[in-house]
Amino acid sequence: MQVAHSVLIRDVGMNKHVMTKWIAVFVFSFCMFSYSNAGFAGDELNCVLCHKHRGLSRIDEDGKFRLFYINQELFDSGPHRRNKCKDCHTDIDKIPHEPARKVDCMQECHMVEPSGNIKFSHKTVEETLHKSAHSPLDEDGKPKPHQEDYPGCKDCHDQPFYRPFSFYKGELKAGVSKRGISRCKGCHTNGDFAEDFYEHITTRLRKSRYPMETIKSCAKCHQDPEFQERHDLDDVVTTYMQTFHGKMIALGSEKTADCLDCHVVEGENTHLIEGKEVITSAVYKNNVQATCRTSECHEKAAAQLASYQTHVTYDREKYPLQFYMLVGFKALMACVLYFFLALIFLELLRRLFPCFSFIKDKKQDDEVE
Amino acid sequence: MSKYDPIVYKEGKRLFYRFSAHQRLQHVVLFSSVLILALTGFPLRHAEESWARPLYDLMGGTELAPLIHRAAGTVLLALFVYHTIYWMVLFYKNHIGKLKREKRVTIGNIIREFFSQEMVPNKKDLIDIIHIWKYLLYFTNRPPRHERMSWREKFDYFAPYWGIPILGPAGVALWWRDEFSHIMPGIVLNAAYIMHTDEALLAVLFLFFVHWYNVHYAPEKFPAATVWLTGYLTEDEMIHEHYADYVRVMIEQGLEDQIQPQHFGGKEYDW
Repeated sequence: MQVAHSVLIRDVGMNKHVMTKWIAVFVFSFCMFSYSNAGFAGDELNCVLCHKHRGLSRIDEDGKFRLFYINQELFDSGPHRRNKCKDCHTDIDKIPHEPARKVDCMQECHMVEPSGNIKFSHKTVEETLHKSAHSPLDEDGKPKPHQEDYPGCKDCHDQPFYRPFSFYKGELKAGVSKRGISRCKGCHTNGDFAEDFYEHITTRLRKSRYPMETIKSCAKCHQDPEFQERHDLDDVVTTYMQTFHGKMIALGSEKTADCLDCHVVEGENTHLIEGKEVITSAVYKNNVQATCRTSECHEKAAAQLASYQTHVTYDREKYPLQFYMLVGFKALMACVLYFFLALIFLELLRRLFPCFSFIKDKKQDDEVE
Repeated sequence: MSKYDPIVYKEGKRLFYRFSAHQRLQHVVLFSSVLILALTGFPLRHAEESWARPLYDLMGGTELAPLIHRAAGTVLLALFVYHTIYWMVLFYKNHIGKLKREKRVTIGNIIREFFSQEMVPNKKDLIDIIHIWKYLLYFTNRPPRHERMSWREKFDYFAPYWGIPILGPAGVALWWRDEFSHIMPGIVLNAAYIMHTDEALLAVLFLFFVHWYNVHYAPEKFPAATVWLTGYLTEDEMIHEHYADYVRVMIEQGLEDQIQPQHFGGKEYDW
């Protein structure tokens, strides 16, 4: 799968000549000699025979350096570990193989989605994405300008990892619960079935990514000044990071609202991020109060909490209150500090010449002033 | 006040009374709570800086540090209220009581008594501010002679009276934001955020550079003044910092003949 591929294959721009086929044969032979029995669950074709080697790489036709190393430990920590390589890399049918096509995340894989008993695909995600602000097509189905700016799967998603948690005697811990899994394994004895489903479910009971990862993912585009200019957008990431929400997340909190918490309607698919002018959007002016007051956020707040402004740019026209308050406080700070720092500096200097004066005061005045 | 002698002798040296144990204890509570507030607040204000996360983790992390911050803020607000009541009681006892005994209770006299308190700024402070700038710019060879409380100490003292009314309510609003939203619109929280963080920055910078210069960094104080612990100033410190008060106390104690001329660092000012 394309998603799985992104962390496993690193593209580094490097203008070099294309590797010839005999090198591939040499690599394959080398792999054969260094064969070990190690392999991940979905590796029925024994792909890691070669791809376990850290240096497995080539320069592609575009001059890009491409690394084909698969970190098995990382791969085994994610939801794609039960997929066979060929589920995603469908065009590979011999070893050594030709350069593989890009993975299409929308294709069906061997796994059967149990609720509908149909082959699994990320097609529904694409359908949702096409209803969102990130769709490359406009309402009439025509391509929007700056097509290259609209994200595909790999622009936001790296190889996902499970983040299971266990809950015992009131204490939440990271990882698989031995007590919990023992109940599953009483009946589901084959392979890692119980572990897979335990991790699959508990990972989805909380955010699948750390909030800071989500913010960094959004920042890849939304913090790019050229991108902002092309789409007439403010620097929403920087302004968000200036809020208490952003600051708490920067300090490691997982309980504070990140981009998705405010920009996706509660209960909706995470990929359905709509512009603030869309009437169903979580940040549409009439919906903000409901978004703020969603469960586990500001539940007790009144509707007028929604007048809080999150993405403040301290622009005089857009945010006059914040602009003038900021100017006022900075001016106050400058006055107080410059006054006293100048005083301290001059006083330290004066200690060198405590009795010198341009105007000598001859008054012999011993009176207390 | 009367239980403290204006002058005490220790190892043959004269020490001048400044602060009671009660006042020193209030100061300890004040600076302890302010330090904790700064240590738990500034990593959050500057969360993007590399030092912020380790310091915040040291202060309890995202779970505990906010609770510590709010607890310290509550202590500071309580101290603010307590000290205001303490001040009012002292004013009533020492000033209104005197007026009552003398049967001179009028609005004018109460105002006059108010401004006669040692911590309240008055005309002499304005004169001293002009005087110190004249001295520092070499337009006079005579430094000002301060009374019991100099204008700088009064500024230090009233800084919390200016800072806490800004920081406190803003902090309370940000803490109880959901409840607060029932009486005020959310945009007030934007204002509260600026009030709280920028006033805190001013307070901390002032304390770090100015107040700590007065009590820590100044060459004659380094590494630290001791008056906040002992409640007494040495004779040299009194002469340098509160010469008018020094002269007054010496005269009141019948030590007029032992009054030293105003000097600093062994150099006598050319009066």
